[in-house]
Amino acid sequence: MTATETRGHNAPCSNRDFDFFYRGLESGRLLAQRCSRCATLRSLPSPACGQCQSLEWEEFELSGEGRVFSYTIHHHPPLPGFAVPHPVVLVDMIEGVRLLGPMDGTPPDEVAIGMSVRADFTRRGDVAAFRFRKA
Amino acid sequence: MTHFSSKTAIAGYGATEFSKNSGRSELRLAVEAVLAALADAGIAAGEVDGISTYTMDNNGEQEVFRAIGGRNLKFFSRIAQGGGATCAPLQQAAMAITCGIADVVVVYRAMNERSEYRFGQPMHALPPTSDNVVFAYHGMSGLMTPAAMMGMMMRRYMQDSGATSHDFAHYAVLARKHAATNPQAFFYGKPITIEDHQASRMIADPLHLLDCCQESDGAVAVVVVSAERARDLRQKPVYIRAAAQGSPAGTLGLSGFYRDNIAPYDECAAAGRQLYAQAGLMPKDIDAAILYDHFGPSVFPGLEAYGFCEKGEAKAFVKDGNLEIGGRLPLNMHGGQLGEAYIHGMNGVAEAVRQLRGTAVNQVPGVRTMLVTAGSGVPTSAAILGVD
Repeated sequence: MTATETRGHNAPCSNRDFDFFYRGLESGRLLAQRCSRCATLRSLPSPACGQCQSLEWEEFELSGEGRVFSYTIHHHPPLPGFAVPHPVVLVDMIEGVRLLGPMDGTPPDEVAIGMSVRADFTRRGDVAAFRFRKA
Repeated sequence: MTHFSSKTAIAGYGATEFSKNSGRSELRLAVEAVLAALADAGIAAGEVDGISTYTMDNNGEQEVFRAIGGRNLKFFSRIAQGGGATCAPLQQAAMAITCGIADVVVVYRAMNERSEYRFGQPMHALPPTSDNVVFAYHGMSGLMTPAAMMGMMMRRYMQDSGATSHDFAHYAVLARKHAATNPQAFFYGKPITIEDHQASRMIADPLHLLDCCQESDGAVAVVVVSAERARDLRQKPVYIRAAAQGSPAGTLGLSGFYRDNIAPYDECAAAGRQLYAQAGLMPKDIDAAILYDHFGPSVFPGLEAYGFCEKGEAKAFVKDGNLEIGGRLPLNMHGGQLGEAYIHGMNGVAEAVRQLRGTAVNQVPGVRTMLVTAGSGVPTSAAILGVD
């Protein structure tokens, strides 16, 4: 069986805490976790809620909209799947969680802290992916 | 002051040369540094009964122990977090000795980090450990190198503090100035200017090439014993006044992007608070410092977090000459990891020992108390070392 058949995605390094995020990308959805007990959202996947310690959670679909909190422009060394220089942005999503994402395809000098962005879905090789663009 | 403070001391240190190709195995580098440290202290190899190092060190403690002819190893421990470990093995040694678990603890870090592998390369995350799945989650966005991760943190620091790349250049110039008069430094005799820094190629905006530490081959070791024992040995004891680890909420391995302040600050402040409380000292009592410079700009929030200036004020503090020898807080007199070598901060521990003994090449006159820190932007550690 292929990785997609067993895990529902082709991301090269994941585990059962992170699989839902990559499966979401396969279906064009940007997912966070919402605690089933206290409803706190979390973006960086975790098996437990840091607020109330509950292990129960459900998938929560993000709108893809937010504002850039910080960014870097990666120049060196070149990375597979990206043409240098390429921006990487840390985005405060309108739902209140922070999400790291690529912003390749946007000229580096157009990226600024505070700018509004929106997520698009794409593929990098056989892996489902997303990236931000100017909103 | 805690029970722990000043009960142990660094009695000896040793190092290999620092290079881009050592021409020998990492284990041999480790053994050379350990034997040099023992010789410096005047302690026989057969007395070593404790070892502490970094999880990232490739040299098994049992192999080092075998090579030096050790007899009975009773305590061995390792600290994770890459360069965030630096001062934590000193804490391990001090705790083991203070608790009566071991008497002579050797701390080493040895690596062919330039000739055999390079930390500056993209991190390829496999297998899916808890750390690797986080690196992979960020890596899919094209954030795969330590420089890019630090660049993300420092861009926000610039926004919040008003600091600029031109401000950061002042640290790079200082480190290279100190390295230029240190014969052990890779960049001995090679100072740079602000203009050189600004013209150097971009690695991960806002970080230029000359903001980045070197990649180096080499090894450093120190020997820790009780304060009483140290006073009977041949070198002036360098007391461990305090040693702490810091990893407050939201601190991750170069990935702490989800806390309010993503600058490499919170973990340093957390370590600093413990240090000053342990030692009964204040930032004003620190005569000189070794701040970990995996990336030069990280020194700026570090100066603020350890209490040498107010938040956001490091840019003025650095430009005003406070870090020069003769200034308020002489910094990284060996040239730092930008200028001397990158041995995961252990070469900074060695420089602190030399300064406190009064034997450094770029000696600060009358230095008695020093702060030494580990890598920031990761769970970190730090120590206050001192002489009577």
